[in-house]
Amino acid sequence: MSRRTHRALSPWLLLLPGLAVVAAFSLYPFLSTVHKAFTDARTLTPGRWVGLENFRALLEDEQFWVALRNSGLYVLLVVPFTVLLPLLLALLVQKRLPGVAFFRSAFYTPVVASVVVAALIWVWMLDDRGLVNGILGVLGAGPVHFLGDAWLLLLSAMALTVWKGLGYYMVIYLAALGNVPRELHEAAAVDGAGALRRFVSVTVPAVRSTMVLVGALSSVAAFKVFSEVYLMAGPTGGPAGQDTTLVMLVQRTGTGLNGRVGYASAISLVVFVITLLLMLLVLRAGREEDA
Amino acid sequence: MRRTPGWEKALRHLLMLLVLAVTVGPFLWQLSTSLKGTTEDVYTSPPRFLPAHPTTGNYAEVADIIPVWDYALNSLRVAVASVLTNLAGASMAGYALARLRFRGRAVAGLAFVLALLVPLESVIIAQFTMVRDLHLNNTLTAVVLPGSVGALNVLLMRNAFAAVPYEVEEAAVIDGANVWQRFTRIALPSVRGTLAVVAIFSFMGAWDDFLWPLIVLSDSENFTLTVGLNFLHGTFAQNPRLVAAGTVIAVAPLVVMFACLQRYFFRGVGEGAVKG
Amino acid sequence: MPIRRSRPVAVPLLAAALLLTACGPGDDGGGGSSADGKPEGRITFQTWNLRANFKDYFDGVVRDFEQKYPDVKVKWVDQPAEHYAEKLSADAGGGTLPDVVNVSPDLSHPLARAGLLMNLDKEKAAARFKDEYTPEAWQGNVLPGLSGAYAFPWYLNTGPLFYNKALFRKAGLDPEKPPRTYDELFAAAGRLAGAPGGRAATLASAPAIEDFGRYGVRLMNDDATKFTYNEPKGVELLGRYKELYDRGGLDAQALTNTPEKAGQKFLEQKVAMNPGSAHDLETFRKNAPGLYRDLGITDAPNNTGKPNMYVMGLAVSEKSRHKAAAVAFAHFVTGRERQEEFAHKVAVFPSTRGSLQDPYWTKDDGTDAGRVRVASARMLKGAVNYTPVVMSDEMKTVLRNEVAKALQGKKSPRRALDDAAAQSNALLERG
Repeated sequence: MSRRTHRALSPWLLLLPGLAVVAAFSLYPFLSTVHKAFTDARTLTPGRWVGLENFRALLEDEQFWVALRNSGLYVLLVVPFTVLLPLLLALLVQKRLPGVAFFRSAFYTPVVASVVVAALIWVWMLDDRGLVNGILGVLGAGPVHFLGDAWLLLLSAMALTVWKGLGYYMVIYLAALGNVPRELHEAAAVDGAGALRRFVSVTVPAVRSTMVLVGALSSVAAFKVFSEVYLMAGPTGGPAGQDTTLVMLVQRTGTGLNGRVGYASAISLVVFVITLLLMLLVLRAGREEDA
Repeated sequence: MRRTPGWEKALRHLLMLLVLAVTVGPFLWQLSTSLKGTTEDVYTSPPRFLPAHPTTGNYAEVADIIPVWDYALNSLRVAVASVLTNLAGASMAGYALARLRFRGRAVAGLAFVLALLVPLESVIIAQFTMVRDLHLNNTLTAVVLPGSVGALNVLLMRNAFAAVPYEVEEAAVIDGANVWQRFTRIALPSVRGTLAVVAIFSFMGAWDDFLWPLIVLSDSENFTLTVGLNFLHGTFAQNPRLVAAGTVIAVAPLVVMFACLQRYFFRGVGEGAVKG
Repeated sequence: MPIRRSRPVAVPLLAAALLLTACGPGDDGGGGSSADGKPEGRITFQTWNLRANFKDYFDGVVRDFEQKYPDVKVKWVDQPAEHYAEKLSADAGGGTLPDVVNVSPDLSHPLARAGLLMNLDKEKAAARFKDEYTPEAWQGNVLPGLSGAYAFPWYLNTGPLFYNKALFRKAGLDPEKPPRTYDELFAAAGRLAGAPGGRAATLASAPAIEDFGRYGVRLMNDDATKFTYNEPKGVELLGRYKELYDRGGLDAQALTNTPEKAGQKFLEQKVAMNPGSAHDLETFRKNAPGLYRDLGITDAPNNTGKPNMYVMGLAVSEKSRHKAAAVAFAHFVTGRERQEEFAHKVAVFPSTRGSLQDPYWTKDDGTDAGRVRVASARMLKGAVNYTPVVMSDEMKTVLRNEVAKALQGKKSPRRALDDAAAQSNALLERG
């Protein structure tokens, strides 16, 4: 093999395993999902082409709008917390103090536990007679029926998402904070700027690109939320299905032996397009601020 | 450098303890529940944080219901294999994307970004058909395969390589080292921390996965721990102590592993692998 | 489902979409073998969450069978309770359905319709065993519109209604006189809700399709093409439940409780009554000794004279390469001797003819378990599986959510049931 062809080939040889896996197990299957979205396929029958019928049915499906609302709310209410709280946490554990390494690792524990385990623990804590109501009882309040009310359930699931994401995003911020020159802070401190001023005028600008990244990652994840709500509110999506999210709707309509695969594919496609737009939007917003 | 005043130190520690209670507290509560004997009421108000008569009986019972050790071994095999394939596959692809100039680089990069957006839950059956066509269903290999090179890991490695100053490699180029030599001898050693991050992410992913192993595996002998622990639901769900013991069994190995690797992990974070 | 028929509570990761089901049978095509020949070959036998409790029993069954038919090797696999339908879908689509598979009628219906299960009435080698089972049980596996039974009847389950005598006493109700009809049930509920010193909820769940059935509501038309539970009687039941809910007669989490969760509420003594099976006795004894001392047992109220029962069966894959062996094995497991042995191990009931005349199921031996067993076995005569087999999980969710809206007062009971029936009928039509 000539040196030239070798050089032309080597990138592709390096990429081969990764591309093969991603193509075979994500991209190609997704293309067939796209195709299915325009058919009336069911779990055990291939279905025929129905054009935009599934999408038309979506618009008339009350559950779809409820799910769209919930997934949208999830982004709106979860993302501010996953962008800000982990940053504050990173600032807290960034300073070299005795024991800080321990705290840093400990804060990561919820990330390590699977969402199934995390949800089991939370359901156990939020039960009418669980830990949280036990503590509220001691304080003379409650019991609060966290798991019986549609809104409380949704908020609890959101809290779980934030809780599980804290450590993950904290780590991303720690990486970025490592690059903020200490002198900037010191100079500001000498100027007599308070902690809040320093946070706004020094820290935030320095980690803005990271905040945008965290914003993009967590909005995509929040919009695609499934496990937390499914596990806490139950497979039917809380009281009267009021907590159903889009991906839960995909699961409900598309799975099982009677699954309406075509219809569920159409919802998946909607989810894909919205997440793509969401990511572009967040990245764009970040860029404009830079300019 | 300015000294941190005493009150600030105290405040910081106080805050950290608070966050600690929120992040780790629930796990300790679970651990405590799992150690409570059948005679102890687990619903008392006010809650009792320490078991009155700690017992490992619940763990023994879980092990009695399901072959926990066999399943843990299967999970371990899958997780270790996934770590190895991800380290190799993601670093190779990441290096090519970060360091090599070639036609189609942008497209290749885009492929990984798009793969990140695909809702996994919508492609699981197609994945099953794929491994069946490869005659791999009901094997642990099939459990590993779809996650063997994670798109996110590729992007993490790409960023890590991109952050290494180019000059280091330039010298090697002049010395006539080929791509592979530069990759293994120079580039890889300088992103060790990120490799630890990728290792931990892929271990966690493989260890925690439930639906995919369930779909792929039929034979109970091959079950992974998460699938096996699911046998605790149903008839046993009414004993929260058993469920608690099951969750502790599922989480503990990860916590231990993370505790061992955390030094490398945070170093990897320092390398900027996970930065934008 | 395993012994207790319950829907998953906490369910692991992403059960989501089988978007790309490999639609239809796999490419091994045509498939199947003759069922008449000599039983031989390797077959796979799949059960549903039975390994944890009955490993030794099934190992024994397989061993005995292999001794009787030395040319057959049986591989036993067991699946967890959750996502069983997903697992079956993947196997059905991928052409890897086990030769003998544990199904309930709602699972066998879609599989049979896709031509993946053997019609036992049409297959002589299987049909000849028909008379060994009770007619109700065999009928329970006959699928509407598909002319035939698609699974050998296996175990049956029905259950009493448990109640908490302590809560009854507190409310001033006679703990020895549990409600027997729906009128009495709703009357008792009123007392329980107003009890001094902590009111208690009567029931932990909103009504499901079985409850409508027991109340005497006509659930579907005769050829199972339309849901009819929105008839006046259904509206009446939902209206009464709504009153009950408004007075605090249902648990605060009634709209989200799964059967498992409902059981837990009863265990915690937060609700006064809960349907269950003899199987639960052991759980009560172990986990809630206080409750166990005050446990009352009665028949679930019904207006039809026909209690509800759940039916489990063993189906044979139409694509099996060793049909003769598969039929032989399915029959072996569901044969009288094996079924009775199994039913002695756990509180389920055999579906084989004559089994229930055995003193074990007719004579109260004085224990609580014995009492429940005899009472339940008695109920099985004339019991029916109220849940229509064409009712998919999605249709159950539709009903559940509309019922919840009515209880919350967002819709009138009539409107809610009309909507639920309309949505379900649309799903049926498209099916």
